[in-house]
This record gives sequence, C-alpha cells and structure tokens, in this order.
Amino acid sequence: MSMDYIIQIGKPMLEGAQTTILLFFIAILASIPLGFMFTLMVRSAIKPLAWFANAYIYVFRGTPLLLQMLFFCFGLPVLPVIGDYLVLDRFVAACLAFALNYAAYFAEIFRGGLLAIDKGQYEASKVLGLNRFQTTTKVILPQMFRVALPAVSNESITLVKDTALLYAVAVPELLHFAYTAVNRDATIMPFFVAGVIYLLMTLVLTVFFKFLERRFKYE
Amino acid sequence: MAIIEVMQMKKSFGSLDVLKDVSFDIQKNEVIAVIGPSGSGKSTMLRSLVHLEEVNGGSIKVQDQYLVKDGAYSSQSQIKAITSRMGMVFQHFNLFPHLTVQENLGLAPKYVKKQTKEEVRKNGAALLQKVGLLDKADVYPGNLSGGQKQRVAIARALMMNPDIMLFDEPTSALDPELTGEVLAVIKQLAEEHMTMVIVTHEMSFAKEVADRIIFMDNGQVVESGTPDQIFNQPKMERTREFLNRATR
Repeated sequence: MSMDYIIQIGKPMLEGAQTTILLFFIAILASIPLGFMFTLMVRSAIKPLAWFANAYIYVFRGTPLLLQMLFFCFGLPVLPVIGDYLVLDRFVAACLAFALNYAAYFAEIFRGGLLAIDKGQYEASKVLGLNRFQTTTKVILPQMFRVALPAVSNESITLVKDTALLYAVAVPELLHFAYTAVNRDATIMPFFVAGVIYLLMTLVLTVFFKFLERRFKYE
Repeated sequence: MAIIEVMQMKKSFGSLDVLKDVSFDIQKNEVIAVIGPSGSGKSTMLRSLVHLEEVNGGSIKVQDQYLVKDGAYSSQSQIKAITSRMGMVFQHFNLFPHLTVQENLGLAPKYVKKQTKEEVRKNGAALLQKVGLLDKADVYPGNLSGGQKQRVAIARALMMNPDIMLFDEPTSALDPELTGEVLAVIKQLAEEHMTMVIVTHEMSFAKEVADRIIFMDNGQVVESGTPDQIFNQPKMERTREFLNRATR
C-alpha cells in the first residue's frame, strides 16, 4: 500500500470531511442555545411551556436520530397539502434534525448542571441583595457551565461520529468517500484513513475541552 | 431601643410546627447567642429574620419597619429594603466557588450598591485585612481552609455595611482547630458593638461574647437572660438539662 494511494484517496475524503465539519458546527452552534432554552422552559413556572419542553425532550431523545433525519428529508415532502412546501435540501434537512435532536440532549445536560448547584448559592445571593437576573447570570450560569462541561464534551464527540449518518441520506461526507473507495479499489485502507481522520477530529475536541476544563477549574 | 422585635412568630413545615409563638427583642449593639438542641428551631428562626423562610404567623419588625405583620408580609421592595440591612453568615459558608475571594466580596457591592471599582477594591482590601486574609485576595475559595472560607464569608457580608449580622452556626462545619480563628473575628465585631445574633453550639464562646443568651427548645424560647443567669442559675428545668448535656 503506497503513500501515493493514501494521498490519492485522502483528497476526496478530506473534502468530505468539510461537510462533516460543517454539519458539526451548525449542529453544535444551534443546539446548545436551543437546548439551554428548553432547560429554562422545563423549569418555567408557566406550566404549558414546561409541558411542551418535556414532551419535546421525550420525543427527540426517545426516537432514533436516523429516523428524525429521514423524516425531515423524505417524510415532510409526502405530507398531504403542505408537503410540497417542505421539500428541503437534504443537507439542510439533516442539519435541522441534528440541531433539534442534540438540543434535547443539551437541555438535559444543562438541567443536570443546574440541579448540581447547592441551594446555599441561591440563599447567599438573595441575602446579599442580588436580584433574580443577577443571581442567574453572575452566580448560577457560570457554575452550571462548569458542571456541564464534561458532559458537553462527551456529547460533542458523539456528534462528530453521528455525522456519518449523513451517509443514509446520500449527502457525500467523509464516510461516503471512504466507502466509495473501498468498493472501487477492493481495499480496506480507506476505512482506516477515515478512522484516522475521525480520530483527529475528536482529538482536537478532546484537547479543546480539556483546556476549557482547566481554564474553569477555579483553583 | 429594640432594633429587631419578634412577636408570636409561627412557622410550620407541613404538619410539623417548627416555631411556636416565638417572641423576643434585640437591642441595638447587643450580641445575642441563640442556643438549644438540634431541631429546636434556632436556624429557622434566624433564617426567618432575613426572609429565607416565610413565617406562617406573627410579626417581625426591624428598625421600626414591619417585615411581616400578623402573618402578612410587606411589599417585595420593602422586604428587600429591610433585609438589606442584615448580613448573614451560613454554616456552609456559601461562597461563590467560581469567583476569587476578592470577587466574592465585590459582587454584591458592584451590582447591588453600584459602587465604583475603586470603592469596592478599597473596602474589600480593608475587610480582608480585618479578617487577616489580605494575602488571599486572588485565591479561589476551593483553595482555602474552612476557617478561611468562613472569614471570607464574614467579610463578604460586611461589604454590604449591614446594621445587623446574623450567624447560623458559623463554626459547626469546621474542624475543631479551625473554630478559633472564626470566633476571634466574631469577637472583634462584638467589641466594635456590631449588633449580632449568633446561633451556636459553642457554649464557652456564647458565654464569653454574648450580652444575652436565648435558649430555644421545641420551637419555643424557653428562657433568655445574661450568660451568668443562663449558665449559672437557669430557671427552667429544660435549660438545666440541655446545659448539663451540652457542657459535659
């Protein structure tokens, strides 16, 4: 197996990796704020909001991401009457499914972060005269963020690997080009190359989150 | 003149009556130690004074303004104005772990009192000096001992310039060898005539710094008086029993 071959198959795979990375960033940048919004809704005193958020989390956590993606790609257009207006680009539909799905997980991660905060923190804030908004932004959220960090890290690594689901809706990405090369050249090498590229991506994330954890260690 | 008046305060959690008709006064510049067995309602009583608990009946008057009158609370803004004159120190310190010592002290003055950076820094340094922790200004609470944390918590409460300081078992979470440094700071405040209510299990400390002792048991004030009266000639059988056990 020559180095030339690896470079030859590596080029389209790296191009595919761009799609992978694009999906990753779109999904993570959309799902983290969205997830946080659902955390607030679950804790809201307005009951219908809390019910909606709980139902949302239940549905999106309780069904496969693949099903959700297929639904947005191929399910929406066959809906009666409105289906014609819901034909989305397959990559766009996938981004939508990923963002909505991961938002449900992040909502639960942030909720866990909030639960981990001692009630003494709220009491100290109250006695010092901080109002609700100040307590939330200056005392609670920074601590929630710190508590949630390892779980967010874990979730983002899962997201990198989940991008391979794009294969199922025929959006060419890293795995697609690897599999094409395996079939064409009757060699297993492209799978190894793909694996290494995934590992490099998760390595970057691992290092990045380790850095954040150290930065926010508060010691 | 009484700075705090508590009249027939009642509080229950579900069917459990934690405070039954608690009444007492606190005079300006007075140091009160509240003693009594666990579950006697001491902490609940103290927490009610700063509105961390809502009472179910009775009145609390602070500096001639009602926090709650016959079970009816004043408006939110009045409650805030009244409780802002009190500082509170908790058993478990409740420092903000994500902020340095200096930032812990500065948070409320900056956002609640809208003090300038310079004011906050100056007051903070002065109070850290007072509690002997000026060298820890840039350290996070996680790197402090329990005694140091509690001293920071006291300084943080003093930053708001309170008229009254409340202490909820300030040394109960500390290793025995660390209680002394905290008690010394409280004693210093007593010498400066800060009005203080201290819920404590430290009998010898109560005897030493308090002008008056309140003994609570089973949600009631059983007896109150000077340390000499309470410790040397208690009138009530329950007080005697408790002191026999507590000071043995």
